[in-house]
Amino acid sequence: MIENSFNRRGFLKVLGWGGATVALSGCGNTSVEDGKEFVTSYVQTADYIIPSIGTYFNSTCAQCNAGCGIMGRVREGRVLKLEGNPKSPINNGKMCGLGQAGVQAHYNPDRIREPLLRTGDKGEAITWEKALALINEKVGGVKAENVAFLTGGVSGHVKALLKNYLDALGSGHHYVYEAVAPSIMRAANKKAYGVEMPRLHLDKAKVIVSFGADFLGAWISPVHFSQQYARFRKADKGERGVLVQVESKMTLTGANADRWLAIRPGTEGILALGLINALAAAGVSVPGDVVGAVKEYTVDRVSKDTGVSAEHIGKLAALLKERSPSLIIAGSAVEGYAHGSQNATAIALLNQVLGNVGKTVEAPSSVPFPQMAPTAGNRFALQALNDNMAQDKVKVLFSYGANPVFTAPASMKLKENLKKVPFKVVFAHYMDETAVEADLVLPLNSALEDWATAMPEYIAEGAQLSIQQPLMEKLYPGTLGMGDILLALLKQRRPEEYKGYEDFYSYLRSAMVSIKGALGGANEDDDTFWDTALSRGVVKLVGAPVNISSNASAKGLVVPAPFVEDSAYPLHLIPAVSASMRDGRNANEPWLQESPDPLTTIVWDSWVEMHPKTAAKLGIVEGDIVEVASRSGAIKAQVYVFTGIHPDVISMPLGYGHEAMGRYAKGVGVNAFKILDPIFDKETGELAMHETRVKVSKAGQRVVIVKDEGPAGGNQMGRKIAVRMSSSKVNLSEEV
Amino acid sequence: MYCFLRLSVLLVGLIVSAGSYAVNAVQPLTTADDLGPKVEQPIEFPHDRHAGDAAKGGMQINCMYCHTYARRSIVAGIPPLQKCIGCHQSIESVRETPRIKKLFEYWEAKKAVPWKKVHDLPDFVRFNHERHIQRFVFAQNKPVQEACGYCHGDVKTMTVARRQKPLSMGWCVSCHQKDHPVDATSTKTTHGPNDCWQCHK
Repeated sequence: MIENSFNRRGFLKVLGWGGATVALSGCGNTSVEDGKEFVTSYVQTADYIIPSIGTYFNSTCAQCNAGCGIMGRVREGRVLKLEGNPKSPINNGKMCGLGQAGVQAHYNPDRIREPLLRTGDKGEAITWEKALALINEKVGGVKAENVAFLTGGVSGHVKALLKNYLDALGSGHHYVYEAVAPSIMRAANKKAYGVEMPRLHLDKAKVIVSFGADFLGAWISPVHFSQQYARFRKADKGERGVLVQVESKMTLTGANADRWLAIRPGTEGILALGLINALAAAGVSVPGDVVGAVKEYTVDRVSKDTGVSAEHIGKLAALLKERSPSLIIAGSAVEGYAHGSQNATAIALLNQVLGNVGKTVEAPSSVPFPQMAPTAGNRFALQALNDNMAQDKVKVLFSYGANPVFTAPASMKLKENLKKVPFKVVFAHYMDETAVEADLVLPLNSALEDWATAMPEYIAEGAQLSIQQPLMEKLYPGTLGMGDILLALLKQRRPEEYKGYEDFYSYLRSAMVSIKGALGGANEDDDTFWDTALSRGVVKLVGAPVNISSNASAKGLVVPAPFVEDSAYPLHLIPAVSASMRDGRNANEPWLQESPDPLTTIVWDSWVEMHPKTAAKLGIVEGDIVEVASRSGAIKAQVYVFTGIHPDVISMPLGYGHEAMGRYAKGVGVNAFKILDPIFDKETGELAMHETRVKVSKAGQRVVIVKDEGPAGGNQMGRKIAVRMSSSKVNLSEEV
Repeated sequence: MYCFLRLSVLLVGLIVSAGSYAVNAVQPLTTADDLGPKVEQPIEFPHDRHAGDAAKGGMQINCMYCHTYARRSIVAGIPPLQKCIGCHQSIESVRETPRIKKLFEYWEAKKAVPWKKVHDLPDFVRFNHERHIQRFVFAQNKPVQEACGYCHGDVKTMTVARRQKPLSMGWCVSCHQKDHPVDATSTKTTHGPNDCWQCHK
């Protein structure tokens, strides 16, 4: 409503005249520019390279650990766009938004371009020779046990080289750290099924009950699960699968569910045991010891503890009894508590009682080359490293593929402990929070200009080695690949063994060719095998099947009673892992900041998700800046009022709030990792991410939230375009 | 006022009808000349020597032998250096001339020759070489040099190529409004597309 004299018509007039002026000055023959631009040709090229026509090369996505196959469209020597590789059984030619943003990691203006050595507060550019010689000197000057190597999840030939380097040093201190990995679930799976990561067959299930697993958004291998989910929803023969999502904060998967059940945080295990009890009562054959263990979990008690109504529990049990096989998934919401292991075990037990093990929970196959098998990261590794640093046991620290200064809770005092390490080497793409603390920063090639192999932890069937090959020449001559750096470091220690390899490419090629028999190339000559492998981007491995067992037992399984109210810190904080931001490693890619969060549509900022009832109680409306305080710290962010969350819970996305890293990440939002309380899972010692209790108070300001949905919020501008119905009115039992 | 309006309507009608009569007759594709500036190139490439008539000492090489992308892509492209070397490594007679020596210097350094663009349309214009070459050379059997020459002029008489045609929108349209046979044997005629989005995408 523009009410001053400069009205809309006047505005259009000015716009029209402005446009005409631009047109007059801009058009005409003068814009044919002869002899101003260069048209640089190739020196040598292949016949299939035609200017202006894209050529596709296969590679592997490095944006997350799922290891999807990608193909990059390359034109005039530059990679322009990424697509999914149809030959990769993980993603079958599909791709997610996070993967698409891979080109922005490559062309990012904030990439480090040369090795930097700390002099005072500044980084001084040095040569690679000097940098590598310095590492050799520093590593040689300390005892091997005082050298620590911190990495994210690693696999393939880089992992093999890394192990060889650590062996050459005589040190076994390799800490594999992932901030948001499902590490408690892995441990529980190992106990229940004998394998850490069974293959889930969503497409074979008729009912899926997902306890907070965001398998369509950010959980393990979302592109793969999305395709399975599509088949589950529209089965070739038979009925459409029913998805029930049980969680305290709605995820993308929860938004897709037939029934979304808000549960009191941490009581997922109680509901699972209650369902076993209800199933036993309904006549499903349940082992006697299990019946004994769950008999106290009556519907009334479970309903009281979990906040899920008795009617819904009954319907869910009926649904599970009626439709088999089903699949129960334990997601990050289950394992984020001090009793996370018990929660996950209770859910494994429910799967076993329902007879899903071997049907929808299947055995993975073994990996024929264990030295290349993926090493999955966990949070315990960082605590162990942190303790050792605090006790001055670490003299030289390498950090690769991890940003612990950003992802460690403030209570760990990691930044302070890092200062005790005399020499810190950080391999990095950006000057992130950890690189800023380093003594030596070594710039890495982007994933689109580097050689590597990867073995994803989760593969649908069999085993495979994914090949990452450069899609274009290096943008900056001063960067190096991780494989090349490790090879150079190994040449310092074991020159006889490695002197034959000029660079990582020649090492990789000869390593692959030497095992070509196992990689399906026994009858091909070396060049044919190698070229075929590169053009496919994926090499199948023949792995032996692993036995899966049904070991979950009720013995010793105690799921504690739900939380007692904490009057000082009345709310639970759920740190949300969003499909774009994850743990924040890709925060400097503006497409990811710009793409709206699927549920709130917020861009370029953090937010506090809050139930309308809670907001009303605290006198808060959308856009209020609030202080979220835990026992470990406080941060401020804007409130988004949202019905898809339990009233006892608030949620903040992870990955925002960088203090360094680059122009698109720095200063955008707040870092929710920082205020997590140091509470750990009792069995595995992993940080319990969902245990933090907080209090919320208004900070005084109010802002307009920048989001895609209209100013009236999710109520469709009051126009009632799509009919809204409360979930208790939906009769899911009609599906049975 | 009213009579002026009537007069102008009448005039427009006359022009349109005269124009449509003129368009009905098949005309040669005329091209106005408008010489562009001289462009300095790293190597003064003699188009006349390569493509010129034999009588004038030319080798009569087909344009598309070097500009091989023109028929397959929207851009004609510059041939890769290996193409120059492919022939010149076995032409001993000119091996020691200054231009060829310079060519081999680039080749030995494995560096691309930094040619300057001579025909550089503004970025909001999309000109497709493939469509024109396929139409004129392959469908209508026009001589290659004539077809290329519609826009590039008589390159076979030049050393370093120089723009001869205006390459303005009006000049493009002047040709696109004219009818020409659909292919070499057909009596059916058509004209080039005149939709804005054909070039401004």
